[in-house]
Amino acid sequence: MSDNFERELAELIIKFCNVEDVSPQDIPADAPLIGPDSPFGLDSLDAVEVVVAVQKTYGVRIGGKDSGREVLQSLKTLADFIRLKQPAKS
Amino acid sequence: MKIDFTHRQFAHCESGVTANLLNHHGLPCSEALAFGIGGGLFFAYVPFIKINYLPLTTCRIAPGHIFKKATRRLGIEVKKQQFSNPATAEAELDRLLATGRPVGAQTGVFWLPFFPPAYRFHFNGHNLVVFGKEADDYLISDPIFEETVRCPAVDLRKARFAKGALAPKGKLYYIEKMPERFDLPQAIKAGIRDVCRTMLHVPLPLIGVRGIRLLARQLANWPGKLGEQQTLLRLGHIIRMQEEIGTGGGGFRFIYAAFLQEAAELLENDQLIGLSQRCTEVGDLWREFALIAARVCKGRVAISDSFDELAQLLRQCAAEEEILFKQLQAAIGKQ
Repeated sequence: MSDNFERELAELIIKFCNVEDVSPQDIPADAPLIGPDSPFGLDSLDAVEVVVAVQKTYGVRIGGKDSGREVLQSLKTLADFIRLKQPAKS
Repeated sequence: MKIDFTHRQFAHCESGVTANLLNHHGLPCSEALAFGIGGGLFFAYVPFIKINYLPLTTCRIAPGHIFKKATRRLGIEVKKQQFSNPATAEAELDRLLATGRPVGAQTGVFWLPFFPPAYRFHFNGHNLVVFGKEADDYLISDPIFEETVRCPAVDLRKARFAKGALAPKGKLYYIEKMPERFDLPQAIKAGIRDVCRTMLHVPLPLIGVRGIRLLARQLANWPGKLGEQQTLLRLGHIIRMQEEIGTGGGGFRFIYAAFLQEAAELLENDQLIGLSQRCTEVGDLWREFALIAARVCKGRVAISDSFDELAQLLRQCAAEEEILFKQLQAAIGKQ
């Protein structure tokens, strides 16, 4: 996975969640992903879109013992989680 | 006073509290195992009971039952108390803490100040463990948080006496006595049999796979019958009960799949490995339903184009779960 993985995830989220007027490079890796402070403007309904997009794109399922709430805190936590679950590609 | 209590973070509050309390009392237990032994998996759609003005839809058994059933199946003695007087309830909590017991408590999320404002909503079935008190702050292990938190006594009092549906009435529960030895395999099998029974054999059209089919039938008619606003509210409510509120996703099906995987090892039953995989696939199907429902709520797809597909997905969930639980029943029945 590239050094720009967080930016790649930002592009994925922008595409799948139809986010407008936001550029991937403008999103800090530690900014809240979901909620009123999200620079993407995502809410909990968008969270479903993100977890499915991640599963379809990277083959990593968010759920069960891995709390979606923790994984979806920021681009950084999401990227770390995918790296952890895809060790061969990191 | 502060009890030496090991806090672990989990996806769901009650199974997390159960696992943490069992661990404290010497029984190593994962969240999935507590959920499975407690027979946590469920489905009910009860249109005539309203939560926040929306029909009751749940993917888990009622609050309190996971702890109750898991401890009973493991032969553990527990105590539960409810109160009419908040001062008495607080005094009893302090007394129990002074005896060195970590205490489970049912609370209303809205009144807990350590929750970020965006996550506070009126849900009175939230469970946590109180493990100490320093000055006017209680020390709390809330399984959905990474670290332990502090809560002013005045706020915990409000949370324990929140009004409305599922009002906790100061409910406290704790482990009184552990047995000398546990029959873990029997407890696991009892938990599995319980879930198979409720999902397949309860003679009510609201419960189990029949409840999923009822929801499919009714949901298909919502746009014409209820109008757009009410339809979207109901759809959003189902997504919340299925993918949020600590379900672990897929309406608790992913957590249950993790339980079946553990159960396969503990029962030395390889059939359960395949059934765990099947349960994960059912969770994915539920998540596909949530995805399309979320797109409808966000206006990304038209209502008119989506409700037949949503109803069909629910029918598919019901059909797959019917097969899954029949196979699970057969796999456990032989042991």
